[in-house]
Amino acid sequence: MLKGFTRNFKPLEILTEPQLEAIHTGTLNVLRETGVRFESERAVKLFEKNGCPVDHSNNRVRFPEGLVEECLRRCPSSFRVKARNPKNDMIWGGNTTYFQALSGTRTVDLDTWKPKTPTRKEYYDAVTVLDALENVHIVPWYTPWFGFKNVSPVMAMPEGLAARLRNSSKFTCANYSMGCEIFNIEIAQAVGAELRSSMAASPPLTYYNDAAENAFRIIKAGFILLLTSGSVYGGTSPATIAGSLISSNAEIIAGIVLAQLIKPGTRVIAQDFSFPQNMRSGSPAFGAIEISLHQAAFNQIWRKYGIPTDGGVSYPSSKKIDYQAAYEKAIIALIGTLSGTNTIWIQGALYGELAFHPVQAIIDDDLVGMIGHFIEGINVNDETLAIDLINAVGPIPGYYLNKAHTRKWWKKEQFVPKVADRLSYPEWLKTGKKDCLTLAKARYEEMLATHKVDPPLTPGQEKDIERILKEAREYYKKKGLISDREWAAYKKDLESPNYPYA
Amino acid sequence: MLKGFTRNFPLFKILTEEQVEAIHRGTLDVLQETGVSVYNERALKVFKKADCDVNFETKRVKFPPGLIEECLRKAPSSFRVKARNPKNDLVIGPGNILFFNFPGTGTVNLDTWEPRTATEKEHVNLIRVLDALPNVHFLNAYPYFGFSDGIPEIMKEIEGVALRMRNSTKVTVAIANNDIDIFTIKMAKATGTEIFANPNTSSPLTYYTDQVNACFLAAEYGLPSMIWDGATSGGTAPASLAGAVVLSNAELIPFIVLIQLLNPGARVSVANLVLAQNMTNGAPAFGEIGVSLHNVAFNQVWRKYGIPTVCSSCGPTSSKRIDFQLGYQKMMPTILSAISGSSVLQLYSSIYGEITAHPIQAVLDDDIAGMIGRFLEGIEVNDESLAIDLINEVGPIPGHYLDKAHTRNWWKKEQLVPKVADRLTYPEWMKAGKKSCIDYAKERVNEILAVHKVDPPLTDNQEQDIERILKEAKEHYQKKGLITDEEWEIYKEALKESGRPY
Repeated sequence: MLKGFTRNFKPLEILTEPQLEAIHTGTLNVLRETGVRFESERAVKLFEKNGCPVDHSNNRVRFPEGLVEECLRRCPSSFRVKARNPKNDMIWGGNTTYFQALSGTRTVDLDTWKPKTPTRKEYYDAVTVLDALENVHIVPWYTPWFGFKNVSPVMAMPEGLAARLRNSSKFTCANYSMGCEIFNIEIAQAVGAELRSSMAASPPLTYYNDAAENAFRIIKAGFILLLTSGSVYGGTSPATIAGSLISSNAEIIAGIVLAQLIKPGTRVIAQDFSFPQNMRSGSPAFGAIEISLHQAAFNQIWRKYGIPTDGGVSYPSSKKIDYQAAYEKAIIALIGTLSGTNTIWIQGALYGELAFHPVQAIIDDDLVGMIGHFIEGINVNDETLAIDLINAVGPIPGYYLNKAHTRKWWKKEQFVPKVADRLSYPEWLKTGKKDCLTLAKARYEEMLATHKVDPPLTPGQEKDIERILKEAREYYKKKGLISDREWAAYKKDLESPNYPYA
Repeated sequence: MLKGFTRNFPLFKILTEEQVEAIHRGTLDVLQETGVSVYNERALKVFKKADCDVNFETKRVKFPPGLIEECLRKAPSSFRVKARNPKNDLVIGPGNILFFNFPGTGTVNLDTWEPRTATEKEHVNLIRVLDALPNVHFLNAYPYFGFSDGIPEIMKEIEGVALRMRNSTKVTVAIANNDIDIFTIKMAKATGTEIFANPNTSSPLTYYTDQVNACFLAAEYGLPSMIWDGATSGGTAPASLAGAVVLSNAELIPFIVLIQLLNPGARVSVANLVLAQNMTNGAPAFGEIGVSLHNVAFNQVWRKYGIPTVCSSCGPTSSKRIDFQLGYQKMMPTILSAISGSSVLQLYSSIYGEITAHPIQAVLDDDIAGMIGRFLEGIEVNDESLAIDLINEVGPIPGHYLDKAHTRNWWKKEQLVPKVADRLTYPEWMKAGKKSCIDYAKERVNEILAVHKVDPPLTDNQEQDIERILKEAKEHYQKKGLITDEEWEIYKEALKESGRPY
């Protein structure tokens, strides 16, 4: 099992108990008074059967408080998730935090910083890097990228899932679009892995049919469901952080009620994916500090509900691997970890959902290691307090460098990063003034040269994946969702002698 | 008075009450059993008179716990420090978070990233930028160590103090080597500002005479003190974090005892610059995350003592460039210090170690300080910010929040808009020339230098006093042989070049 990181002190809390109650009460009020619109007839019927008042004219479902609280209680507060290789299983919940790669639609050129579409080979190589990085515990949906060159959009998700299962044995995830979850589920089952998938609200207070349908399918398969809102405060939720929490929590809770009505005890995780609106450009304000406030409060509330949380918000607003990208990512991930997020997306992402680079993932892995080291806290016992040693060493000329205590403890107490520049000026000038980016590029090459997925898929699993992918391609061609022009490019890609790797 | 940032939620803690007790107990034991070496006769006499166990031969002083606790209680938990312009007065105390700068010996070339000595103009420009930035609440000693190579070592900081007095009305710090602080304090007095006395400990458990004299100067002039401890865990302190906290606290306390014995109720604060030892090259491991664990624990213990803490270890990093590594190495320790109770954070302008600093970096750090300040304010929870009526009124899609008065009223209160971060979308960013935060920071620095005026400038009389004190210092050090005849000739040339009298 993967240990992740364990927080050994109380979580950071920024709300008082009365403030927390006010947000909870407000959430229940909105669910009861206004409710949520569910496009899915199947979902509406299930709600109605369980005592929710339903307005069929607009598919509005209103939620009695008793049902809401009962369904929240049905969710397990902690559970195991199974990866393809059991050594990569995890237990989510409680005072542990795991980290996962964070995707972008495209890669970036590390000289011009312009985004560009990755190739199939880049995609598979990036998965290898994510598999190799020790602090990437989850290789989730859309990572490394949403798709790659020549693959028609509708096939991007099954193709991406296949790549992640081929080049990684870590826990992975797959999302939904145009029914592709059917193929995703089959692929995961063929290799004996569990999946996490999502049910995403369309704020404000709406769930479209595909989201609910995916929930039904994922729960039937016995997999894990992530509920997310994705509201933008000032656009699709109130401009205030407190109001936005009510609005997004109402959406997430409506989804949880559905999940628990479909199958009581279903493993769910609540994701904070809310951003302030950048009022100048209309896009989300990635990297904004309010995200950390929102996230800290979100974690505090969901800890009360006893439901694990996921933080998907560590996108920087910077387009380059630079100072700004670092402080934006660092504070979001750090505050998320301190306040109790159980699974945090971070490695690899650059500007808001649009860019990912494996070299960035390597640099981020050091940042994650630092955060992980921090939350383990301080060891306080007779040996670490070292009172006898301090008394023995005394004032100058006493010192600690030659002591057995130092040899024993420094490695436990210090975190030594992999690609950070830690040289003195003379050393640094002599070795070519290398920065963390240069060192990360070298580590990238080294990983690709040496890392092997453990275990690789068996020939039988490979055959199954190919069969399912082929079925999916046929299905979407028949439905007209892969156009002839798209198919021509895609087909050429499939006929490459190095398929599936290039 | 300068308003700092207010923390509106409980302190973040990583130690249990029992662990705090264990550290406190250990500290008292070390001071009683082993004590410290004090190379200063005057101080030994003061300690003797207060019933410490003093050995005048070995210079060893051992402290009765009762005296320690009494002196800790005498120190105020919050106090004001007066600046030349009262609008720059400081309040140092719990819940009010202030920032200042961390020095570099010199500047850095932003193209080659190689360090070099700053010119006088560059030195002045850095002071002016720090004077202009509203979240730099006071200035450290330096910010550069002198300027040009023509100034004798001993005069570098004294010349620097004169530049700070001329170009800033913010409070600053006097360093205590070779009587430098005697002249510094005279200049402060002549210009009507208070200044921090700055006694430094020498690890382990040792106090040299100049540093001790700083305490006597503080008492004589009624000045506040900022006591620095810079032990290196694994070198001059135990490698275990708990042991390093015991040692650094045991080193800080004797100065507090001395200051309180000389002047009961005197204003003191303690600055934490404890770093880990980089075991591969023997230098301090700047930017290491264990340093933050040390600092958070340190804050928790000193909060119990009721004495304000300064985090100095958030200033230096191990990166030589303004890059991703620098960003996370500055953000992480700073936010962790801020939420765990540091009253003052030494964040601004530093790059590598204590070697390089730059005004561009100060402007970049200003955005970090702003973000941390916004985070500390927390979340406003009241009927209006909860917005329950609004959420019910807007309802599901097609409802939205963009056109609501509530959004117009609140978004500016809730969102912090950074000054030099890149917040553009990709199309905007491409069109605007792919600028990064460094490009924007350069613009802001130029803008500040074009418009900022020190308010008020020194009067003619104050100017004359500064020149007179500089002259006294030069004569003093010539007489003491700390300025050789050869150095004196070069010095005169250097001053002539910069159009200054000598």
